[in-house]
Amino acid sequence: MLAGPVPPGAAGCCRRLLAAALAAGLRPLLRGLPPCWVTARRAAGQWPSPGLRVPEAAEAEQLVQQVKHTSVVVRRFITCPRLARKVQRSLQRGASPGSQPVLVECGPGPGVLTRTLLNAGVRVVALENNPAFLPNLQSLENSLDGQLKVIYGDFCRLDPLVTGTAKPPAVYSEKLFETVGVAAVPWRADTPVKFFGILPQSKERLILWRHLFALYECSSIYRYGRAELNIFISEKEYKILTGKPGNAGSYQAITVLCQLGYEIQLLHMEPWSSFFTNLKNGGLAIPKSVRLPNDHLCLVRLTPQQNLFTGSLNPQNSPIFIFMVKQCLAKPKSRLIDRLNSWSLENGSQLLRELEIPENVQTRNVYPEDYKRLFEALQSSNIFTENWWHDEVFENTRNINF
Amino acid sequence: GLTRAWGRMLKARVKQLQATSVPEVTLTKVELAPLQEVVAPREREESPSRTSSWVEKLKREARIQQLKVEQVSPIIASELALEAKVKNKAQGKVKGKGKKSPKTKTSHAGSPNIHVHGKPTGAAGKEAVTAPGRRVLDNKESSQFKILQQTIQSNLECFAFLQQPEEAERLLLMYHRSAKRKVLNVSAYNIVMRSWARKGRLQRINYLFSMLESAGLQPNLDSYAAALECLGRNPFCTKSIRRYLQQLQHDGFHVDELFQKCLFEEDEKEKVLKAVRMVHPNYQLPPAPSPQTCSSSLLQDFYSRMVPYPKLDFSVQELQECFQKQLELEMNNTITIESVESSKPLTPQAIKAVKLRERWGCRSAGKQEQSSPQDLWEVYNELYPYLCLMPGEEYVDPLCLPLSQVLNTLSPQGESLSVLAKELGTKVYNRYITRRKLCSGQLEKLRVVYGGYIQLLAKDGQVGPAKYLPREYWEKLVAEAGFGPSLDLKNCSWSYMLLMRLGMHMLELLVQAVKMPRNILSPRLEPRLIPALYHIYSFRSSSQIGLIKPHPIFCQIMSDAAETTLTFNSSAIPMLCPPVPWTSPHFGAFFLNDTNLMRFVDGAIQHQLLLEQCPLVNLHPVLDALNQLGNCAWKINQPVLDIIISIFNDKGNEKLDIPPPMSEAPKPPALPGNLSALDKAQRHELLLCKKKAAEMHSLRVDALYKLSIANYVRDRVFWFPHNMDFRGRTYPCPPYFNHLGNDVIRAILLFAEGRPLGPKGLDWLKIHLINLTGLKKKNPLQERLEYANEIMEEILDSADHPLTGRKWWMNTDEPWQALACCMEITKASRSPDPAAYISHFPIHQDGSCNGLQHYAALGRDLIGAISVNLMPCDVPQDVYSAVAQQVEEFRRKDAEHGVKIAQVLQGFISRKVVKQTVMTVVYGVTRYGGRLQMEKRLKEIDDFPEEYLWEASHYLVKQVFNSIKEMFSATRDIQNWLTESAKLIAQSGQTVEWVTPLGLPIVQPYYLSQLLLSPALCCRKPDTVKQKNAFPPNFIHSLDSTHMMLTALHCLRQGLTFVSVHDCYWTHAVTVDVMNQVCRQQFVALHSEKILQDLSKFMLEKYCRYSLSPCPGLLCCRCCTWVGRAKSCSHVHFLSFWFIQL
Repeated sequence: MLAGPVPPGAAGCCRRLLAAALAAGLRPLLRGLPPCWVTARRAAGQWPSPGLRVPEAAEAEQLVQQVKHTSVVVRRFITCPRLARKVQRSLQRGASPGSQPVLVECGPGPGVLTRTLLNAGVRVVALENNPAFLPNLQSLENSLDGQLKVIYGDFCRLDPLVTGTAKPPAVYSEKLFETVGVAAVPWRADTPVKFFGILPQSKERLILWRHLFALYECSSIYRYGRAELNIFISEKEYKILTGKPGNAGSYQAITVLCQLGYEIQLLHMEPWSSFFTNLKNGGLAIPKSVRLPNDHLCLVRLTPQQNLFTGSLNPQNSPIFIFMVKQCLAKPKSRLIDRLNSWSLENGSQLLRELEIPENVQTRNVYPEDYKRLFEALQSSNIFTENWWHDEVFENTRNINF
Repeated sequence: GLTRAWGRMLKARVKQLQATSVPEVTLTKVELAPLQEVVAPREREESPSRTSSWVEKLKREARIQQLKVEQVSPIIASELALEAKVKNKAQGKVKGKGKKSPKTKTSHAGSPNIHVHGKPTGAAGKEAVTAPGRRVLDNKESSQFKILQQTIQSNLECFAFLQQPEEAERLLLMYHRSAKRKVLNVSAYNIVMRSWARKGRLQRINYLFSMLESAGLQPNLDSYAAALECLGRNPFCTKSIRRYLQQLQHDGFHVDELFQKCLFEEDEKEKVLKAVRMVHPNYQLPPAPSPQTCSSSLLQDFYSRMVPYPKLDFSVQELQECFQKQLELEMNNTITIESVESSKPLTPQAIKAVKLRERWGCRSAGKQEQSSPQDLWEVYNELYPYLCLMPGEEYVDPLCLPLSQVLNTLSPQGESLSVLAKELGTKVYNRYITRRKLCSGQLEKLRVVYGGYIQLLAKDGQVGPAKYLPREYWEKLVAEAGFGPSLDLKNCSWSYMLLMRLGMHMLELLVQAVKMPRNILSPRLEPRLIPALYHIYSFRSSSQIGLIKPHPIFCQIMSDAAETTLTFNSSAIPMLCPPVPWTSPHFGAFFLNDTNLMRFVDGAIQHQLLLEQCPLVNLHPVLDALNQLGNCAWKINQPVLDIIISIFNDKGNEKLDIPPPMSEAPKPPALPGNLSALDKAQRHELLLCKKKAAEMHSLRVDALYKLSIANYVRDRVFWFPHNMDFRGRTYPCPPYFNHLGNDVIRAILLFAEGRPLGPKGLDWLKIHLINLTGLKKKNPLQERLEYANEIMEEILDSADHPLTGRKWWMNTDEPWQALACCMEITKASRSPDPAAYISHFPIHQDGSCNGLQHYAALGRDLIGAISVNLMPCDVPQDVYSAVAQQVEEFRRKDAEHGVKIAQVLQGFISRKVVKQTVMTVVYGVTRYGGRLQMEKRLKEIDDFPEEYLWEASHYLVKQVFNSIKEMFSATRDIQNWLTESAKLIAQSGQTVEWVTPLGLPIVQPYYLSQLLLSPALCCRKPDTVKQKNAFPPNFIHSLDSTHMMLTALHCLRQGLTFVSVHDCYWTHAVTVDVMNQVCRQQFVALHSEKILQDLSKFMLEKYCRYSLSPCPGLLCCRCCTWVGRAKSCSHVHFLSFWFIQL
């Protein structure tokens, strides 16, 4: 895992404000550019700023409060324009100068960030699951020239595994990509589409697991290439995703799989209080954390690893790999060799010796890369062809991969 | 091995002796150390139990044990931890830097990491020993402390049983000399004393007495009994006897008390007596204490007006034989019976499989011998005493038998590790108890007393002119035989944790030992032995569950070689003779199987403690009621059983609730080799198939067990001993086959005793039949009877041609019971004089004490009482219709005011929609649950618009709650008061307790969940939400059970046969009227007590003594309003008019 850049502090705030004011002043100039230039830039994913008014925090908060929230899940919104600008800059930081992929903003709500992004020239697809927010967004869509597309849908219910067609706001990635107009690209190509969202904390872990399964199987949004996730997750979850081997609290199965599957970048950290919730009492609903720090929401960029499917790991056998890692780390203090033996492997210790993994190592001390090497070695030793492995992997997959 | 371990221990003790002087010196130097000590282990070893694997767990325990032995002073431990932490930090930094270059990564992937972690865990392990230890000592009342005490005692008890006093003393010394000495109480020392006394080693006893003194403990009666017993075995020590007797009196005891209060095994009593008589040659045993009678006002009448106990239709001789049979059964511990599943002809493959299965038996047995106790001591020394409980071949056997049972019954879906472990642990425990009872001579005493007890029950038994209840007669016999309290065993129960550990250990052996050749089904593969079982984890939402699963090949073989016999624990079979009457919370029901009066949730020992503290005389009514329920004799309805088995062995019938065999399971579609090649729909189909198969398997096995047991006892008379849950609800002890079962099982049960139908009996049979069909629910009984007469034709046809006729019985609510009833009606109506027809058929009557009635009576709620038929009224009232009407009224008003959802609901509100919610509202259903119920009902209505489901159900549940509030004003009030009180009590860190009007103490066992094996298992906080939400329903359940017990006891006085399925009461047709009358009388009597006032008083006394406790105001004053109302409107009067609806 690469450590992310240091999150921007409060310093430099004034300068940025000044820059924003300047940009606003320049707007009329941009409008007057010749149309061919505009089309060319549009093709490269860079749109001129439409110069939208971004509502003030109080205004946006009122909008959120007026809307009836039927779901039990606590939702967080970006209502403060300054926060929206911070997020927008974080999202655009490090982008290559060439053509920019479209950004799917999941759960825009009152649209503060949406407008900020549009003003920055980003092409946005707004995926909103609450019908009450839609009219506002749709009228914005109509006022623009194709820079914004609004879709009724729920990022948390992407590609549900129920039989038959699911009712909206559940969405299927085929439908989504078709509407957005993004075609599949090879795995090693650049990212075809970016996602942004604030994960609801009660479903955080579940959604991450679902994406991991999809990533390793190259299904769902990953069928179209290395789709990039930019998500706000709780700090403790971030600590778990970036946990180091040997760290009892934070080194888990999801850690191993995530670090192998994604390049993890920390873009920004923001205190919980900066976000507005849909709770009536205005509470922040910060999930408890005993061992790990949890004072922030972390904006994390998860870019699928280009070299994920090198070696003998491929989308077909990856469920077995996931199952293996989960079994190993179910009890992180157990010895790896005991796990191997319980799978009726004949010469586990020899295998470990060949892989240069110490024989008495605890499973929580094994590096992600070593798990991959172990899998590849086991793959060639044929223990996965035993039929109980098949049955178990199959049953295990269904629990997460709805 | 053993000697080596002890050698190590001795060495450690030497070290310890040397070390004792060190801390005083170092204390000043390292005063700062403890500060870091707190930090270091916390970070390393967060919650030691949470993450370790099961094997790890055992090892860790062993390690801790070892550390205890080594007695490293805590300061050294903390220094170690500190040192390791510093090292760790340094290494951590290096690692962080090296991380980016992939070359170095692999090289230190494990090794340095491991070394770093190796030490701190060791040090932290030491901490884990000392830290909770200190906490424990602070709170002697905590359950954790008690569990530790219990574990030590069962360890000692085990050594005593093994006749190894040396080992017991060593263990005791270890604790005695350590910081944990405070965990030891007198009884721990007593156990060791007793095992020395059995060998007559006076010197050791003297030594132990001096140890007691140095520990600052007072010897108690048991200590003196042990000393005297020892002296009784040594002929010439009158001087010592005098000295001990003097000391005994000096400590405030009397010699008589020895014989009144101590539990004696084998010849202990004789030896003590001998010793006493050596000094006082004329000493006479004290007279048995006169029996006490319960003073509850509800039962004054019952206990003062004695009638002879009803006789069974058995002679003394016959009962004696039955007793012998039952005893044999229990002494074997398990019983193997024929399965009712018809056996298929054996295919060649099956024959091969059978051979293989036999081989497994041998192999696992061989493995057991290899790992003899001595080797195990090295690793698992805590379990050592338990593993040597069964010496020689028996050691192999008790492990193998349950284990082979596990192998035979493991479902292909696997079984949760903890469930299996507990089961296995319990099995070993049961064997131990059986052996102890045999060895201690307790069985002989039991034989003598039961021989006398038979006289009370047998038709030719001689009891004499006095009249007794079974419990009273048993107590009298015990007193006469001079056994005193010695029929009980001494404290011998094993803690839950111990059972689990033992079970886990055995499972581990099993997984390692049972192997099979991989190529058995496909000979082309290269031969290699692979384990038949594997241990994996399954993940469900946030939790992970350890599972033991059989290998698919193994399952295939097992199903090919289908077993034709089933093996059960002997307590799973109904008793073949009348059960031992309950005389104390520990003694009753089976002869050798250990049964508790109160069932409790795993690991909760509060109930036991509470019952032990409760004066025995207060429990008499409950014990007598349980004895009464257990004394009902049963037999099998053979014709019905035969029909059921024939369908079971054919293809089953899901509509009739007979689970089909696995051959009827849906076949999964043909699969391509690669799993991931399946698309979504295929996967889904496969999953559905698997799920269905798993469900079918468990249903089938369950039915197989029940029917096989029924078939086993088909020609016998049998009994179901009863015990109860923590609210006093009674249950039969045998788990599979009993009258609480489903329709199928109830249909094959008959009373063994027959009674003539009498003038109204046939009518009752007919009404009962209509009740079973589920038709005519709203009609009065007379109309039901008329309806039955109208369809006589169908009834006769069903009875004569059950499977070939018009099959009317199949389309009823409870088809099998309906069929059995049809047959009985047919037989009775065809007999020359139906009134004289001898019927064994049980008629069910609703105890009709649903929660609303209890609340209405508690709150003296007049209107409420009318609508639940508590008040005289011309037409039977239907509370559900009334609520539906009220809801409709509210809806109409809302609709007029333009509420959308109220308009949508027009025409959809009916009795059916509201019924479930009304019924469950008193048992504490919440709005959330109520809404789900409503949604389900609304979904059943075809033309209800789906998009309104959520809103409509939400609206309806609100209106139902409002209606109930309106109609039963007091009900909600009382519920709120109960909930509020429970909340306050739980918030103050206590559990809610109360005492039923019959004197049964109750405690709610809900705590914040913690992992099963965590050492802090019982110093837990109460779960406020559960305590609060469960109090009202539990309280009502306890009243319900009280009412049932009262009815049972008074029915006994009237000479009726009576059993209950919670609030459904069963009796013979001829006595239905009497039972109904008793039932009502007792309801009135129960509610004439000041139930709420007593509850309030009890809670005030219990919880409001300390300043931190909940506000006393709420606990009492709100209750006074009802009590006030009660006085003003004299509803005791109204209750006595309680209408008999007929």
